[in-house]
Amino acid sequence: MLGELHQVKNPWEGTRWALGGAGVLVKQALVSLIMGRGRHGVVPDGGLFAQSAGLRRAALAVSGAFVLASFLFLGAPPFRQAFQVAIAPWLHLYQLASRNNQPGFEDLARRAEARRDAEALALCAVRLQGSQQSAALAQEAVRLEPNLLWVYAVVAGRAPAIAKNRGWIEQLERWDPSNALLPLLDAQAIESEHFRHGVWTQPTAEQKQRWQCSMATAFAAPEFDDYFDRVAQLTRRVLPRYNYYDPYEVKSRDLIDLPIDVFNNSERYAGMLLHSGGELESKGERARGRDRYLSVARFGQLMDTHAHSALGHWMGTSLQAMAYRQLEASYQKEGNQAEARLMDYLAEKFDSVKGEHPGMPAESAFGLKTAQRNAAVVVISALMSACFLGFVFVATIILLAGSRRGAAPAAQRARPVATIVIMASSVGLLFSSITLYLTYRPYWYIFQTAVASGDRVPTGDLRFFLNDLSMVPGVSPRGYSALLNALVYSGSPSFLFYVWTGVTLLGVIGLVLIFVRHFQARPRTHTP
Amino acid sequence: MKIPRISPETLLVLERFMESPTEWRYGYELSRATGLKSGTLYPILMRLEKYSLLEAAWVATEEGVPPRHTYRLTPNGLEVARTKLAEARPRNMVRQPAFCNG
Repeated sequence: MLGELHQVKNPWEGTRWALGGAGVLVKQALVSLIMGRGRHGVVPDGGLFAQSAGLRRAALAVSGAFVLASFLFLGAPPFRQAFQVAIAPWLHLYQLASRNNQPGFEDLARRAEARRDAEALALCAVRLQGSQQSAALAQEAVRLEPNLLWVYAVVAGRAPAIAKNRGWIEQLERWDPSNALLPLLDAQAIESEHFRHGVWTQPTAEQKQRWQCSMATAFAAPEFDDYFDRVAQLTRRVLPRYNYYDPYEVKSRDLIDLPIDVFNNSERYAGMLLHSGGELESKGERARGRDRYLSVARFGQLMDTHAHSALGHWMGTSLQAMAYRQLEASYQKEGNQAEARLMDYLAEKFDSVKGEHPGMPAESAFGLKTAQRNAAVVVISALMSACFLGFVFVATIILLAGSRRGAAPAAQRARPVATIVIMASSVGLLFSSITLYLTYRPYWYIFQTAVASGDRVPTGDLRFFLNDLSMVPGVSPRGYSALLNALVYSGSPSFLFYVWTGVTLLGVIGLVLIFVRHFQARPRTHTP
Repeated sequence: MKIPRISPETLLVLERFMESPTEWRYGYELSRATGLKSGTLYPILMRLEKYSLLEAAWVATEEGVPPRHTYRLTPNGLEVARTKLAEARPRNMVRQPAFCNG
């Protein structure tokens, strides 16, 4: 071959000749490696596997083993779930385009209605975001099971006007009269009365009076229960009943929280109490003034101790910091340095920025960058697995077509290439599957812990990971927003569906044309 | 005598040899005559040589240039080529043109 190279005049032809010769040497080396020395080796004729049935069979057997090993991963729940979360970026786009952000719970609600399952209806009422739908489900759940009355309190935070109109808060206050949450919800409902059609109006004196009365009742209540532990119990019981295991459901538990208006109203009323305490102090009624401050601190402590949500704990510590800061100033004026220092210490401890917040979720153990990297690895591995599987499938069809009697010469010539594609793709498939499984496995264990507890995820790891999985890898957040705007706000809720349907149809038509051309090009016998 | 499986590419090569059965042929010349690339042609030549259907010889060229390999049909190779080409002729499949004249 080398000697012939000097006879080739054209540089391009010379390059091709040299590359072909190098290929022959590589094939020979591969044959020696696989088949071993001393065996009556195969000199490939027209390709590595073209004439060597033994070598081809060995290669296909190895490829088959790799593909089978890859399929065995499907038996592992972490692997199946990894695939489920890996298609999340595309599903996320589809769900936004179809304005259906919680298809899982809507389907669960339909099944619960069919089975008249009060607990499942209650859980769907709590988890679905639409206020009208939640209210209807909550009402149905309580009608079927009156002990689920507490669900009204959770749904009322999202729909205060509906709760007021249907008399839910009065029912709740009769059922759980010591709970501070209920007068807070009442105050929120009163506020919603002067917010109509997107416009705030000035509250009437009567509304202001009722609001203050509700807030005073809340601040004087001996207990606080946001019922979120009951939500966690429902989650633990209901989801396994319907075989509903979705990491994104776990992530969405963070949405279960007190309404922000509860915090705003509490802060506003606390400010009013502290101000009135200051006025009493300035009149010389220091003890009464401090009682006002301590009532704010006590309410904050009640919230911090008994709340089950991030906002509840935040609200509790914030109110305590406000109260202790005021108490510090009061003791300073009195000249009581020891008490002033103690109040200062407490105010620092509960400070909203610098203080301790034991109720807040723990930080991520792996870190944000690790979560981003893992999310990209999971999405790409799943995509590559699907691609490699497709290559194996297509190459197998080509190999089978070329192996038939009377197969077209083109199909026969394609057999070595098809065999190599099968080998390479099976390796790629196995490697992608292993990568997908190992990368997702830690998150599977976090998810299992959350399923067992029914509560929100204790660390940020799964949350960060799933947040990053919602983004298409390689697309910047700005680009993603632009893509979403283009697709979601295109004017048609089914625009994305039509786009992907069109792409799929074009692909299918292309494949059909290829097959038709292949069968049409099959040569017929020439009769002289 | 063991005969290798004859692929369509191998038949092309044997056909070129049969044009002048006693003549020594170079690899590049065969490549141009058959249209096969070096990566396809040389494994065929090596395989035929292995099965003693071809014989090979080195031919020295000018100084500084590597010698060239030449190939010729052996008597066995000639017999096999005749047989295989004869078998292949009735089975030659010709593509029908899309539009036939007459």
